[in-house]
Amino acid sequence: MIRGMTRREFIKKGMTLVAVGWTAPSFLTRTALAVNNPWDLAQVVSRPGVPDDRILVVVQMGGGNDGLNTVVPFGDDAYYRARPTLAVPQKDVLRITDDLGLHPGLAPLKELYDRGAMAIVQGVGYPNPSRSHFRSMEIWHTADPEGRIVRYGWIGRYFDSNCPVCERPTVGVNIGPAMPLALQAESGVGVSLENPEAFQWVAGFDGIGAKEELELFRLLNAPAPNEPGTIDFLRHTAMNAYLSSEQVRGAVGAYKGGIEYPNTPFAASLRLIAQMIAGRLATKVYYAHLTGFDTHSAQRGVHENLLEQLAGGVAAFYRDLEAQGNAERVLVLAFSEFGRRVAENGSRGTDHGTAAPMFLFGKGLKGGLYGRQPSLTDLADGDLKHAIDFRSVYATVLDRWLGADPQKILGHNFERVGFL
Amino acid sequence: MGVTLRRFRPTASDPWDQVKAAHLLNRAGFGGTPEEVARLAALPVEAAVEELLNFESVPESFPAPDFTELHGMEDELRRLRRDRAPEAALRSMVQRINRANIVKFQELRRSWVRRMIETRRPLQEKLVLFWHGHLVSGLPETRVAEHMAMQLELFRRMAAGNFKELILAVSRDPAMLSYLDNNTNRKGKPNENYARELLELFTMGVGHYTEQDVREAARAFTGWTFVGNEFVFRRDQHDDGVKTFLGRTGNWDGTDIIDIIFEHPATARFLPRKLWAFFAYPSPEESVVEALAAEFRRQRWEIKPVLRMIFLSEAFFSPQAIRSRIKSPAELVVGAVRLTGATVPDEALVRAMDLMGQRLLYPPNVGGWPQGRRWINTATVLVRYNLGGLLLYGTMPGMPRRRAAPGPVDHLLDADRIRTAGDVVDQLVARFLQSPLDGRRRWALLRAFGTNREDTPWRPDGVASRAQLRSAAHLIMSMPEFQLH
Repeated sequence: MIRGMTRREFIKKGMTLVAVGWTAPSFLTRTALAVNNPWDLAQVVSRPGVPDDRILVVVQMGGGNDGLNTVVPFGDDAYYRARPTLAVPQKDVLRITDDLGLHPGLAPLKELYDRGAMAIVQGVGYPNPSRSHFRSMEIWHTADPEGRIVRYGWIGRYFDSNCPVCERPTVGVNIGPAMPLALQAESGVGVSLENPEAFQWVAGFDGIGAKEELELFRLLNAPAPNEPGTIDFLRHTAMNAYLSSEQVRGAVGAYKGGIEYPNTPFAASLRLIAQMIAGRLATKVYYAHLTGFDTHSAQRGVHENLLEQLAGGVAAFYRDLEAQGNAERVLVLAFSEFGRRVAENGSRGTDHGTAAPMFLFGKGLKGGLYGRQPSLTDLADGDLKHAIDFRSVYATVLDRWLGADPQKILGHNFERVGFL
Repeated sequence: MGVTLRRFRPTASDPWDQVKAAHLLNRAGFGGTPEEVARLAALPVEAAVEELLNFESVPESFPAPDFTELHGMEDELRRLRRDRAPEAALRSMVQRINRANIVKFQELRRSWVRRMIETRRPLQEKLVLFWHGHLVSGLPETRVAEHMAMQLELFRRMAAGNFKELILAVSRDPAMLSYLDNNTNRKGKPNENYARELLELFTMGVGHYTEQDVREAARAFTGWTFVGNEFVFRRDQHDDGVKTFLGRTGNWDGTDIIDIIFEHPATARFLPRKLWAFFAYPSPEESVVEALAAEFRRQRWEIKPVLRMIFLSEAFFSPQAIRSRIKSPAELVVGAVRLTGATVPDEALVRAMDLMGQRLLYPPNVGGWPQGRRWINTATVLVRYNLGGLLLYGTMPGMPRRRAAPGPVDHLLDADRIRTAGDVVDQLVARFLQSPLDGRRRWALLRAFGTNREDTPWRPDGVASRAQLRSAAHLIMSMPEFQLH
């Protein structure tokens, strides 16, 4: 059964809203028509052969993950020379080839790798890399290293491309305090939340009464023409929130699940996403955050802990999806804004670098190693040279997972990577 | 040169009035009640601005946070170390100290918000908030609560002082030294974290220096560290070799680097641009930035003259500025408490700001909090709209329920000047929104008083009228218009 509002409920709740709004934005009326079955929108279908119920989960590893200590080139002496205190000892590495292996903190992911449910794309970057957290993150979010003026994110542009359920506010759901640029769309869809309990507006406890107050609340927040930009933006966001609130809390509340997750905020985000997937929220892209990778000093324990959080969270999430029967529908993509310098610094840490591996997880992908491990001796300015442009990974996901046209969204036709 | 920012001259058609006085209080402070706005509006605009700017002359005292207990624990740890106590005892003492610091951080967050609400020097506290978002430090990297308290005091002391001196002071500040790892930046083993952000985020902005400049600056700051609460320069850890920074070659240390930074033209524009965006509107015209930069240079990096130029400019009082900016969570929460006089535990106010995306003393990253529309998403807009519920009814979703009796509301109105429901709406709109509201939305607020008509007689008659008043105030605080100032 499809969850969410029934048509009658919507007419009770939603249509009064349309009625009091005088000039309701078109997305409300279009939404009203499609509300009974979020995954059955006859008017929008992606390419034949690409199922419409596929989901992408993006994991942002904020701060610049140390790629060399994540996928460890333990067969290369240059690695041990560059990292006298930080190198992962050969004997601890979880080997995946004769000279590459995963950090020991990633044991739960090694299991996924061995089952063919994890792809590693090595040496991912872009030309003329920026070592500024902010600029580089912006480049990854907009997929625009040249700095043309792009106001929306690469996923937001996908939402603007007439994709399935793309008119629903919940098409993109971010778990966190701020909407990432990657998800920002011209159409203004997308929902951000941290705490489902707080994701609702409640009327006052006395006065004219909750029902009447709610009615006036809708009136005061109904989008109207000729409003100044910021007011209009606030009204649309409030409407998206109001329309999604009950659906999100309903979806989350409906699924209990029996899978145990590690006790970390990151794992809690993934569990929340698993609940929403189980609750069949009309969502194509979820976004979760794991931050703290900016390890300039005393990196060892901190980085290990972060990798354990990543691995523990993703592995539990994968088990949960398998238990739900949704593992085939979900692809996880994990990235960071840059890797770190090859040589460690004097604080037993690493400074901002360039190319690094990206990770993909899911039952629907072809696991294994892709790309090429960058040379540790042929460096540009002390940093790794990238082998694959990150937009190739985006293009592959857009094309072969989401069934969208990457050229339209990314502006160029990037080579595909073989994991899908 | 020769660029100036046109001065605001009140005229009959563009007067210095309550709307503009409210705007000045919103931006240079945390907003004002109708009484405070009226008092300021009665002064000439120059006098109003000077009163806010010259905050040092306003007496003020708040109790300093007390770290005696933490000092005792640190003494105890030193004693354990000296006596070569077992590893387990040391570890448990360190854990106690860490926990005590976290508790203290929470206390600092609460007392700072309380201070924003009660201060008689609103611009000073507003600037502390600005500096906290510009020269960023905080949890989890800065773990010592006393260092954080010292940094807030530094920002308070130098709030509108000399920017170059502030940059030097913050380069020697323990909270900053630990936040950006300069305490581990040593000769032969440079850590470039502080040097990079000093250039990129604090003084110049990207595009004016090279990666090589970052590395050379990092070398110059080697040996800048702290012991206890004191800055220490460790000569033996300082790289005293020759460095080339921004084209200048010499045996530079951190102070020289700061000197060279302040000789670069980009530096004169960088802070004024950010001050304008914070106090007036984002993306200022280049002519505005040039005028402020010229004044900044002329005044040898004094901040107060730049602020004066901002607050007295025509552009600051233009429609492009007034009621155009989205309040930050701190501005929204502190301002709403001041407007309603609500008595809600400080802990709840801090929690509300957290849920709105501004965890004070816990910045998202070294870039601070993104401003403007970035504050708003589906989650934060609902939390913001629920703030009225917290202030009027004592609870909001996402917080433990502690339904107290609804708070008093009679003081929100000047009862002597009210005859009709329309008068009540007028007074509420003036208090909360400070500019008129269109007819359709006025009508919705009249409905809260059970009428469709402006001229329905209204008189306070106890419980029922107070409940209506709460409903109306709650609805106003759940409107997009209340999110702007």
